[in-house]
Amino acid sequence: MPSADRTIVYPLETGAENFAGRRWPDAGTPRIPNWVYTDPEIFAREQERIFTGPGWLYVCLEAEIANPGDFKRSRLGTREVVAVRDPSGKVNVLLNRCAHRSAQFCSATRGTAKEFVCPYHQWTYDLGGKLLGVPFRRGYRGQGGMPADFRPKEHGLQRLSVTRRHGVVFASFSEETEPLEQYLGERMLGYFDRVFDGRELVVLGHLRQRIPSNWKLMFENIKDPYHASLLHVFLVTFGLFRLDQKSAIEMDTTGRHAVLVSRRGEQQENDATRQMRAFKADFALRDPRLLEPVREFPGDATVVMQTLWPNMIVQQQSNTLATRQILPIDPGNFDLAWTFFGYADDTPEMRQRRLRQANLMGPAGLVSLDDSEAMLLSQAGIDGNEAAECIAEMGGRAIRDEPHMVTETAIRGFYQHYRRVMGL
Amino acid sequence: MIAAPGLDPPMELRARLADLYCAYSDVLDEGELERWPDFFTADCLYKVMPRENFEQDLPIALIYCESRNMLADRVVALRETALFVPRTVRHLTGNIRLRAVEPEGLRLTANFALFQTMTDQPSEVFLCGRYHDRVVDDGGRLRFAERICVYDSTIVPISLVYPV
Repeated sequence: MPSADRTIVYPLETGAENFAGRRWPDAGTPRIPNWVYTDPEIFAREQERIFTGPGWLYVCLEAEIANPGDFKRSRLGTREVVAVRDPSGKVNVLLNRCAHRSAQFCSATRGTAKEFVCPYHQWTYDLGGKLLGVPFRRGYRGQGGMPADFRPKEHGLQRLSVTRRHGVVFASFSEETEPLEQYLGERMLGYFDRVFDGRELVVLGHLRQRIPSNWKLMFENIKDPYHASLLHVFLVTFGLFRLDQKSAIEMDTTGRHAVLVSRRGEQQENDATRQMRAFKADFALRDPRLLEPVREFPGDATVVMQTLWPNMIVQQQSNTLATRQILPIDPGNFDLAWTFFGYADDTPEMRQRRLRQANLMGPAGLVSLDDSEAMLLSQAGIDGNEAAECIAEMGGRAIRDEPHMVTETAIRGFYQHYRRVMGL
Repeated sequence: MIAAPGLDPPMELRARLADLYCAYSDVLDEGELERWPDFFTADCLYKVMPRENFEQDLPIALIYCESRNMLADRVVALRETALFVPRTVRHLTGNIRLRAVEPEGLRLTANFALFQTMTDQPSEVFLCGRYHDRVVDDGGRLRFAERICVYDSTIVPISLVYPV
């Protein structure tokens, strides 16, 4: 159970509070200055410290690159990478940049390759990024060519550190990132393993959307159970997520990762639903097959939404499972890439259930639609009001696990860690 | 409208199909969402999905409805439960092509372009792609037994609110 001794407090670095002329509000993490969502210098430092520094970034599911030679293009922060399975079965993550003139050598979203050839000057690399060939390296008829001291082995593609767990691929630009198990921490690892339990995964499809807001607002949204009972009338009405249900919000010891857990309730009026202006007691589905969840995981939680620093959301809402990858573009825009999946041992009925329940999620989701629109409104209100602050004081000012939903504690936890990494 | 070689649909059928396609777009453009499910058979299949999934046989769709009632539920959910910023959507449908006449119905494809206008913003091309349809005579009226809307881009700008 959450208790005071799990309160997250660690000292902030001092002397860094004036980066780019910015100073965090004296009230601390319960107040979030609007410039974190707009300032290009802050965005550049995020790319450097959060997306390029120590930390495991979610790349893809192994099932997306199941066979030797299979590759998938992706983006970590603002830098493009290619995840590829080499002939030995190992997964490599390579920067999508030719060592010669920096051209992106891979344009296909996904595919199968024996080697990578940059289309510009046909420099050729193996699937581990090793430079295999440079056309006319020795020149032509004694003329031109690369200098005699050019060493191909020093000019391979940049290769990232890679780690895998139960079918999920993570990469890091840093070689100093701690092991994934330690990075997630015991409790977050437990929730991660609940969905990624070692069973073979099957990819059901991809959906992507471009949202005109800062990337951090996506994380805040999933760390904020307070909005879910008010904004998501569909969820509330059908008891899929409501603040009168048994629920919890938990974090790792740094506050950077969090999980939001809830149990499904009934469609009935009570004291709590009367406060939710939009609760629709009389809205019944004409085709109830849309919502016929069955229990498939141990325990009584029916919703587990996990946010893993800095670019991954693991979604389990009833029987719809997906990873969401956050791909920042600039301070005011990010892409959200959803990968829906199931398990190789799913029955046809379970497969069908996952497809139906996906109607709640994605860019046209009966639930997630509300979120993308709310983020648009947030950014619209932030732009031009850089000197203002957002309030994140619901549930108090402490950062600790809570056994209820009327709290913004995980947003505070996120910013506690953010400030530490960013030196703000 | 064009037809595959060997198919020579009578003028009357051509006219009825043209009417179906025009009326479908018109109802959505006029915002008459409640009339939209009536363009489908009771056990219809309606999906909106990126070409990426369609070409790889990956089943996940933005919208996945297996009956006219599911379409109606989506309309009620949009009207009663969803939050979204006001926008105007306009459909252009063209290149309607009859590809096959089968016992299960007529197989057609058509191109679509959706233009979206958000408040205080210029109009933009929101989605473009192709309908893959199966049309049947349902008690004297042509209806979609299947409508798979496959959009060309991988990315949807913000969100898809109204049906394609």
